[in-house]
Amino acid sequence: MNSIQRLQCLMAGEMADRRMFTMPLSQYGAALTGCSLEEHYNDPAAYARGQTAVRETFAPDILFGPLIVAAIGEAFGSKARYFDKGPPVVSTPAIEVASEWNGLPFPDPDRHPRLSYLREALRRVVAEHGREVPVAVLLVAPIDIPGLVMGLDAWLETLLFDRPAAEAIMRRVTPFAAELANRCFADGAAFVVWTIGFASPGFVTREILQEFSRPVLVDTLARVHGPVVLHHLEFPLVANLDVLSGLPSVAGFVLAQGDNLKRARRLLGADSILLSGPASPWMRRAAAADVEAVCRKTLENRRDDPRFILASCKGDMYIDTPPANIHAFRKSVEEFAGDRR
Amino acid sequence: MTPGEHPDGELSDLNIRRALVAAISRADRERAGQLLDHWAARHGYAAAYKDLLEPALKRIGRGINSERFSLAQAYVAAKVAEDMLTKSAGLLAQNSEPKTVKGPVVLGNAEEDFHALGRRMVATMLRSSGWVVCDLGNDVPAAEFVDKAIEIGARVIGVSAMTMTTALNIKEIRRELDARGLSGRIQLAVGGAVFLVAEGLCDEVGGDGTAPDMLEAPHLFAELWARGERGEDAR
Ligand code: B12
Repeated sequence: MNSIQRLQCLMAGEMADRRMFTMPLSQYGAALTGCSLEEHYNDPAAYARGQTAVRETFAPDILFGPLIVAAIGEAFGSKARYFDKGPPVVSTPAIEVASEWNGLPFPDPDRHPRLSYLREALRRVVAEHGREVPVAVLLVAPIDIPGLVMGLDAWLETLLFDRPAAEAIMRRVTPFAAELANRCFADGAAFVVWTIGFASPGFVTREILQEFSRPVLVDTLARVHGPVVLHHLEFPLVANLDVLSGLPSVAGFVLAQGDNLKRARRLLGADSILLSGPASPWMRRAAAADVEAVCRKTLENRRDDPRFILASCKGDMYIDTPPANIHAFRKSVEEFAGDRR
Repeated sequence: MTPGEHPDGELSDLNIRRALVAAISRADRERAGQLLDHWAARHGYAAAYKDLLEPALKRIGRGINSERFSLAQAYVAAKVAEDMLTKSAGLLAQNSEPKTVKGPVVLGNAEEDFHALGRRMVATMLRSSGWVVCDLGNDVPAAEFVDKAIEIGARVIGVSAMTMTTALNIKEIRRELDARGLSGRIQLAVGGAVFLVAEGLCDEVGGDGTAPDMLEAPHLFAELWARGERGEDAR
């Protein structure tokens, strides 16, 4: 069975030959091909070579386009700082206060160099692997975009103390977020993954979740023409899944390492795909045996759940994560399948 | 009516305490301000700060570390403290009492660190306690911290670092202080989430002291300022 066939089984609610598993190994591709991160984050061909190496080495069931959230900030005029050993971050936001959104030009998803890089890299990975392996791309939900454009604190300030301004910002950001997702679907993405930090209990109150984040998500997701997977970003998400269930276009959720998966399944119903597993920062430092044990426990928890995918959570896998830990992740899935037979 | 409030609207001190925590939890800055005013009308602003706001913020601070409170709630808590400062400063000015000014101190994120939120909240808290803060922002090179401290006559440099990698960049500030013969006279305060989880990190990076959250920061700065005046190198 190839990964596409496994995904078809999963969607149909049937058990495949084994569990699907995946980790965002975006930067890790650069580590495998010996490419500098500067080249990795600028040259789509170099990026695609990295994903080929990832597939040859670890064979995950989902490959990824570049994990470069800061590029969305850059597209709006923010400055990003690039590092030798980790992903870039927004260093200087494009604007400082809510009123500056008014004059702010929005990027063209077809033309802006940073978005062109992201999409061209995605297309190349799809062209090379897409027939056998689904390719996902990680973007951010509209509620998380202002954090990259005006900074996290200015966005919190607006959301908390000037709700009409926050809503006005969303009226502009929503069509952009939907459009970018739709272009990525046209480029061949099997899923668009959206971080939803500003719908998670670690970031916002229930009031913001119910009165602001959910309505924005409903509105944007209704304009998206493909399956979206919502991503916990940093903190556990399960406490908010009661409010986040039943959103249009949502195929599933990536949940945190500590999230209660039984409860998540109860809240989301049988059709939603659940993805969870060890967090990437934890995998960087853990012993391989511990990675295997955590994976095993998670698989055990979801033993009879056909729509579960073992997936690392939080961000991209760090480039200095021991390869043995990634192999241990994969081994847990293979051995679990062996036990089931 | 919100949880913790009395049905007839008359608020006992105990109820005000509960209502304040509840208001901040709902991110209701306005209501929190009203409750503090209510208390201040009875006991004065100094007491409102010390006996009402500080304990409430402590409870919330503990909740943030255990992930029971959100970034939004933490942000509101800092704003409520800032609002109080503005109000009580206004009152002091009216009564033309001399305001005690502390500092100045320098604050910033370590080189390559871009976690602004915690640092800004520490700045807000310090200012609420009467400190003059020169906030250098994110990604501040070691020499810039020290140059600024000399320029403005700061006895404390506060550095915020959220990741292990960026915390280790603080060593460079210590080297800079040593090289210029300023260690002891300028004290180095360090903080950020990574200092809570990595034991001994403060000593490792050459910090003179650390505090777990924004609430403890003013106390730490006061202690270090006093040590700086004595030129004490306690490391
Ligand atoms: C928001 C966030 C970000 C945002 C920051 C945006 C912004 N404008 O602030 C962005 C997206 C940019 C970001 C990026 C990254 N982040 Co980050 N981030 C966080 C997160 C979710 C919350 C941090 C926060 O704001 N907390 C709320 C504030 C109020 O708390 P605080 O910062 O701890 O500050 C309080 C105290 O520590 C203290 N304090 C703070 N500074 C000081 C200074 C002094 C002198 C004193 C006395 C006290 C003090 O007082 C503050 C108020 O009470 C944490 C997760 C977490 N659990 O902490 C991760 C976290 C800090 N990030 C982490 C990582 C790894 C990264 C990245 C490397 C991710 C990546 N791979 O790209 C980058 C690095 C960027 C860089 N070079 O700086 C790790 C750090 C792990 C480690 N220990 O090494 C964390 C812990 C997440 C995790 N579990 O992996 N991040």
